[in-house]
Amino acid sequence: MARYSARVKSDIERWVEAGLVDAGTARRLALDVEANERGSLSFGTVLAMMAALLFGAAILIFVAANWEAFPRLGRVVGLFVLILGGYVGGAAMKARGHGFVGEALWIVAVAAFGGAIALIGQMYHLAGSEASALATWGAGTALAALALRSGPLIVAAVGIADAWLLMTTMGAFRRFTSIETAQLFVPALLVLFGLSFWTRSQPARHLIILSLIFYVAALAVDGDTLGLSAALAVASAGAFAIAVLAPQAVDGIVQLGGRLPLHALVGFLTAMAIIQFELADTGGFALAAAVALAGIAAAIVFAGRESRGLRWLAYIGFAFELCLIYAVTMETMLGTAGFFLAAAVTLSILAFIIVRVERRMKASAAGGAAP
Amino acid sequence: MTGKRLIVSALVLALVQIAFLSWIIAGRAAILRNGTEVLLKVEPVDPRDLLRGDYVYLSYEISRIPVKLIANIPADRAMSRDKTLTVRLMQDADGYWRPLAAWLGKAPAPAGAGEVDIAGHIFRGWNLGADPEATVSPDYGIERFYLPEGEGRQIEKDMRVRPFGIRAAIAKDGTAQIKALVDGDKTLFEEPLY
Repeated sequence: MARYSARVKSDIERWVEAGLVDAGTARRLALDVEANERGSLSFGTVLAMMAALLFGAAILIFVAANWEAFPRLGRVVGLFVLILGGYVGGAAMKARGHGFVGEALWIVAVAAFGGAIALIGQMYHLAGSEASALATWGAGTALAALALRSGPLIVAAVGIADAWLLMTTMGAFRRFTSIETAQLFVPALLVLFGLSFWTRSQPARHLIILSLIFYVAALAVDGDTLGLSAALAVASAGAFAIAVLAPQAVDGIVQLGGRLPLHALVGFLTAMAIIQFELADTGGFALAAAVALAGIAAAIVFAGRESRGLRWLAYIGFAFELCLIYAVTMETMLGTAGFFLAAAVTLSILAFIIVRVERRMKASAAGGAAP
Repeated sequence: MTGKRLIVSALVLALVQIAFLSWIIAGRAAILRNGTEVLLKVEPVDPRDLLRGDYVYLSYEISRIPVKLIANIPADRAMSRDKTLTVRLMQDADGYWRPLAAWLGKAPAPAGAGEVDIAGHIFRGWNLGADPEATVSPDYGIERFYLPEGEGRQIEKDMRVRPFGIRAAIAKDGTAQIKALVDGDKTLFEEPLY
């Protein structure tokens, strides 16, 4: 892999000399090659990460079993040794160039930290909620990501934050749910978003944006507030517009690998779905459906060329819209035969549109490359 | 980051996290060592599953505090907010400690001889109205008892038929910490300091 990036970089230098690309583009290309090289996963890496996660799960379950054969002070000290050994050993491995072994050891250390929190809760019969234990664990993980500049750890911290949100809002273990504490989720995500630049972790940023969309959508569904889902739709449309109008400037700031339009479309479709469910029995539904369809069309026209993923997301959104419109407007009038007929017509429309759009995209891509 | 600096920050990170965990352990051990010891009656709860994974859920006599015991209910008697509830306990003739009075927030005066204040927490939404039967249910952070794997079922069964007790230590600030699970005169589990 290293040889590949070295080769591309020498190619880029040659292109600059030949006047094919300017210096700015060359720098961006080189950065992109580096970023993708860091992001590339080999089979061994995946196995190392899975082993680390399994090891972490084993630690947590071992603690949960509350095995008396082992004195508990011994268990605490064992976890402390794992924390120390995991962090320092991981750093030593990373310093020697075994980057992913190092990251895997850090995951084990972070799991041991979480296990120690659970063990202390068990030792002293602490009845504090699981959510606060998760919050402590997440904060410790974020601190580790900061100190070690580790991408996988920041992803783990976002995952723990998501679990915390679920536990707080769903109140799985509590008799009362506490929506107020869930408001801390957004500041926590902002901090993690900032940390993700320090750790150069693009996956963490993707996960954070999706978590944020999920959080706002859950709030909107929970509170039956049309305003919130409308705000999400408008904000998503705004983000989409900015990302399409100034793609390089925006990606220079958020560094999402050019996938901000995709996130914006996810947010927009989610918000519009909630709005349409809310308005299903009112005259506002037709307007909302029209806005959603217009949004999908706009997404394909303005950003469909660059991203195949976005096109497919738009198709799925379009299919969903057709089903929804059918269910709301015609359900009462047609019987089963009518449903099959409508489904057939829907699918034909969908197939026709997808084939047409894909062909045009291919043609314009070929046309764009030719001159 | 260079290799040496990375190893140093890993070391500092590990020590910070270990120190944090040790600090929690030390705080809990201090309550066990220095706290006032009280005996609390565990009440049988409705026939539902008390055993949650690796712990049993405990409900105490003092988990229901009559609203009329609360001395400083606001004049508008609105719903309770998310707040501390301080409950003053005193030992009864049968050995169990029972509530004397309670305050939203802190107690106005320190507990007298033979009395102790335990800090509970009530969620918002409890009716603080004038109904003489009304109660609120504070949490004291001692509603769980973790058991070794496999020993939960029997205790859960016994707990339904006869009263159990919890010996707890209460720190000066009202934080409670479970010391032992007792079945009548028999101590089932006694917690070491560490």
